[in-house]
Amino acid sequence: MRVFIDLLWFFKRNRSRYLGGIMLLIAVSLLSLIPPKIVGIVVNQLANHSLTRDHLLWALAAIFGTAVITYGIRYWWRILLYGGSIQLATDLRTQLYHHFTLMSPQFYHQKRIGDLMAHCTNDVQAIQETAGDGVLTLVDSITTGTVVIATMALAISWKLTVISLLPLPVMALAVSHYGKLLHKRFALAQRAFSDINDRVQEYISGIRVVRSFGQEAWERKNFVELSRDVVAKNVAVARIDSLFDPTISVIIGFSYFLSIAVGALFVVHGTLNIGQLTTFTLYQGQLIWPMLAFGFLFNIVERGSASYDRVQSLLTIAPNVKDRPDAIDVTPNGDISYRIEEFHYPETALPTLHQIHFTIHQGQTLGIVGRTGTGKTTLMRLLLREFDIENGDIEIGGVSIYHLTLKALRQAIAYAPQDDFLFSATIAENIAFARADASEADIERFARVAQMHDDILRFPQGYHTMVGERGVTLSGGQKQRISIARALLQDAAILLLDDTLSAVDARTESEILDELKKNRAGRTTVIATHRLSAVKHADLIVVLESGKIVEHGTHQELVARHGRYWDMYQRQQLENLVTQGGGPS
Amino acid sequence: MSAESASYQAIPSSRTFPRLLHYLAPYRRQVVLSLAILLAATATDVFQPILIKIFIDRYLIPRYFPENIMIWLGIGYMGLVVTTSLLNVFQLLLFQILALDIIQRLRVELFDKVQEMALSYFDRTPVGVLVSRITNDTEAILDMFMTVLSSFVQNITMLVGILIAMFALDARLAALCLVLIPVIIGVMVLYQKVSSPIFHQSRMRLALLNAKLNESLAGMPVIQSMRQEHRLRQEFGDINEAYRRIRFRNTQINGLLLRPLMDVIYLMVLMLVLGYFGVSSFSQAVNIGVLYAFVTYLSRFFEPVNNMLQRMNFFQQAMVSAERVFQILDNPSAAPKQEGTEDPRIHLGQIRFEDVSFSYDGVTDVLKHISFTANPGQTVAIVGHTGSGKSSIVNLLMRFYPIERGRILIDGADLQMFSNDELRQKIGLVLQDPFLFVGDVSSNIRLGNENIDQDKILKAAQFVQAASFIEKLPAAYHAPIGERGATLSTGQRQLISFARTMAIEPIVLVLDEATASVDTETEEAIQSALQKMRHGRTTIAIAHRLSTIQDADLILVLHHGEIVERGTHQELLSREGLYHKMYLLQQGGSSERG
Repeated sequence: MRVFIDLLWFFKRNRSRYLGGIMLLIAVSLLSLIPPKIVGIVVNQLANHSLTRDHLLWALAAIFGTAVITYGIRYWWRILLYGGSIQLATDLRTQLYHHFTLMSPQFYHQKRIGDLMAHCTNDVQAIQETAGDGVLTLVDSITTGTVVIATMALAISWKLTVISLLPLPVMALAVSHYGKLLHKRFALAQRAFSDINDRVQEYISGIRVVRSFGQEAWERKNFVELSRDVVAKNVAVARIDSLFDPTISVIIGFSYFLSIAVGALFVVHGTLNIGQLTTFTLYQGQLIWPMLAFGFLFNIVERGSASYDRVQSLLTIAPNVKDRPDAIDVTPNGDISYRIEEFHYPETALPTLHQIHFTIHQGQTLGIVGRTGTGKTTLMRLLLREFDIENGDIEIGGVSIYHLTLKALRQAIAYAPQDDFLFSATIAENIAFARADASEADIERFARVAQMHDDILRFPQGYHTMVGERGVTLSGGQKQRISIARALLQDAAILLLDDTLSAVDARTESEILDELKKNRAGRTTVIATHRLSAVKHADLIVVLESGKIVEHGTHQELVARHGRYWDMYQRQQLENLVTQGGGPS
Repeated sequence: MSAESASYQAIPSSRTFPRLLHYLAPYRRQVVLSLAILLAATATDVFQPILIKIFIDRYLIPRYFPENIMIWLGIGYMGLVVTTSLLNVFQLLLFQILALDIIQRLRVELFDKVQEMALSYFDRTPVGVLVSRITNDTEAILDMFMTVLSSFVQNITMLVGILIAMFALDARLAALCLVLIPVIIGVMVLYQKVSSPIFHQSRMRLALLNAKLNESLAGMPVIQSMRQEHRLRQEFGDINEAYRRIRFRNTQINGLLLRPLMDVIYLMVLMLVLGYFGVSSFSQAVNIGVLYAFVTYLSRFFEPVNNMLQRMNFFQQAMVSAERVFQILDNPSAAPKQEGTEDPRIHLGQIRFEDVSFSYDGVTDVLKHISFTANPGQTVAIVGHTGSGKSSIVNLLMRFYPIERGRILIDGADLQMFSNDELRQKIGLVLQDPFLFVGDVSSNIRLGNENIDQDKILKAAQFVQAASFIEKLPAAYHAPIGERGATLSTGQRQLISFARTMAIEPIVLVLDEATASVDTETEEAIQSALQKMRHGRTTIAIAHRLSTIQDADLILVLHHGEIVERGTHQELLSREGLYHKMYLLQQGGSSERG
């Protein structure tokens, strides 16, 4: 029940809604006492032949009135309580989403998207149920239970009430015992299900290996075993589950039996009349639901509480990268100087970067080359403050990036990342991602710079063609060019291209580079690449190997050195030749 | 999750439900048994109020209590209660086991279908979608069988039972109460009509919400580096709010048409019954026991009805899932299979491509008129740039895709005539990406092949020089391997995949050389392992490094799906064509690297 205290902030914020809902619930439980009472009166009058036409009409009218009023109230409390729980779920999703946008990449390295999604869907759903059905059953079972029992005891016979309620503690025991068993077995069943899920996932991912080694039969055997295990674990759940309702029926049946038998004795002794007995058993019927509900409540609350804890622990994770207290909100500009003694990613022990010292002047182009995993991307991510350096600093125009607000820093930088992630939106919307209000002319201008304009016009709806699952499938090169256009449209002082030309053919690449040169005069461009042709004209090229700068200089200088750079350059000449089919060189 | 969005939606047809019911057919006996028990349970249940009615009318009102009969009535009543419960336990359990069995069958059927699908299907379908079909969608169908179907059957039986009992007590009043049935059906139809579009919309908006969330999480670096957090929050907020609104609509409709309305109907019928008794009491004596029984029956009547109404949404969900599952089951895509009955064997390992052309999409040919022969024990190397069609040659030779033009012969027999087993046993494939399964080192080398004992695993590992690093692992051959072998380096994974191939002792070796860079030490181990593996085996090698295939008996240079040069290393060098250029440059590069 602790979860209700945890959720108190929400109940307080929606005080009138919840107070109103509870009042209405109480009203309903009071109103539903009326029909059985009327039935009892009529039965009595029938028994002693005193029923008149007026009495009958009055009785029917009273029932009718109750029906109409309860209908309204029942609808109303549902709107209040369930509406509240839906609002809570919406609020929680908003909070989670807001929180996600504050989290740095480190968070996304540690968490899997699937898990985060599950928090936003399953956990929020469970909390919603707690705030809706949970509150309802709690209030309803308490109020209905109290009101009905009180009426039975005070208005009919307290002795009969006590006697008829005797079997109910047994029911409470049984329900809680089954509940515990069920919980354990259900956890096992869930695990079996997730086992089979993982297995299928792996099987489909490794389908080529499975096929080439002819493992199909074995995989099938494996799958059948796992699916049998799922059945077995679920049968264990079913065994308990199917005891639930019948056990309750036996106990309720026994309770009825007691009240009829003992009630009959009272009738004989004249302490009770038949009408009262009838009313009494009808009231008893109304007790079944609150009793059952208490069992459900237990489940709902347990699930909700676990989910609430998970969501809260997610929400309390502080962002790793945030504005320092003395940060200034001024967009930086000027020379970029890297002074990194050492940097390693939080999860890894080995340093990713060592002794990185260089300066790139404003308006120049920097090339970063090296093999995969040598730290090219890391250099860019550090500039963007996706991760913070502990031992070293980066300055832009003489100001440490740590003295700037994230907003100001990122304002100065346009980044086209390696994995050219596009959103499921139109091409125009994707290009204008950083400035949703960009004019069509701007969008087109930058698409032209990125040599994408002609391609876009060939799509069915041009710039308004959808990208992704529900739209056109773009080639790697097309995605990269859109991603470049998207970065260019930011019109930032610093442009970072992280291997964003790798899937573009050589001719297009040189066209893009030419256009860039024209467009970005006076502004700084950083190009990380495998392909040396992209940095041939750079003012400074740094060659990275295992996180260290092994060579630096211009293309001419580096080629003349006959070092790593030259080595890479030769290999790429070959690749070009091979791709072009080895025509005359 | 995003994969669940619009493009993978299925619309259930009128055939979906009957087809689903068809899965009950093999369980006819169990179904009949469960139904019989259910009927018995309903009968004993419905009889309980009748006993009380007898008690009231014959004994309580006349104040006549013969001890014997009283005891028997008491025992009878409790007996009915207990019997009903026992029968219900059995009936519930039987239904649930039945449902679980059916779903297990359906899952295996789906799995078998997936096993038969052509590889091209997997190229097009995201893994998550397929997994979700086999597990989650079948789970939704399970819900249908377990709760919806069994509770519908149970509830309807109960309703019929109650109606019969009412007719037995007072036919005229019961006939009056029949008015209920059209009213309730009317409400159900109305509810279905009003709620179903809302239900669909709410599912759609949820899918949208999930897609937005998934996309935002995946694209967070872009969002953050472009400072669009605020805008995206706004967009998500709008979707979230739209979802809230539709959920609220749903609550409104449920509130108007479900339980509250049923309660009104219940009270109306109660008025009818009271009125009937009241009016008839003016002209004749009435039977209070019957009144009691009727009132009890009525209060019981509405529980099953409420139950069914509430489960209608689950039913709709199950139908959508069933339709998706059936779409997979009906997919015509099929992997190539053995043709003819000759069942040839591979003894020598001669491979022959005869004028093979191939296209994945039926439009552009990725292979054009490929012909070559690899004689037993020879190595044929295929070189060329990315997208030149090298991997397609492997895909065809492994019979992953059907050959439509040209022929591939192994030891003179058409590839299509071999059994799958024969091909998989005799042709060992080393894939570019060494996919490892969750398990341990041994299980990854054995891969479920029971003919490979620990001894063979050791030998294979030693042969490919993987033994030295494996033995250094904490539990050596039983060292656990996590998802995709994340605990091992690329080179180590590569060596394990070599051992895996060598453990089946293939006659033909197909190598798709890895491009990933590994450290020098492992690189040497890999190269010398490859040399040993090729020795004495017909080898088709896709090479990215020319240095590894200089001793090949035949080198094919592929360009845009065509063989543009062929010959031995020496011959190709003397031709001074594409290969020559590649070689010169690579030589230069590697000598400098030292």
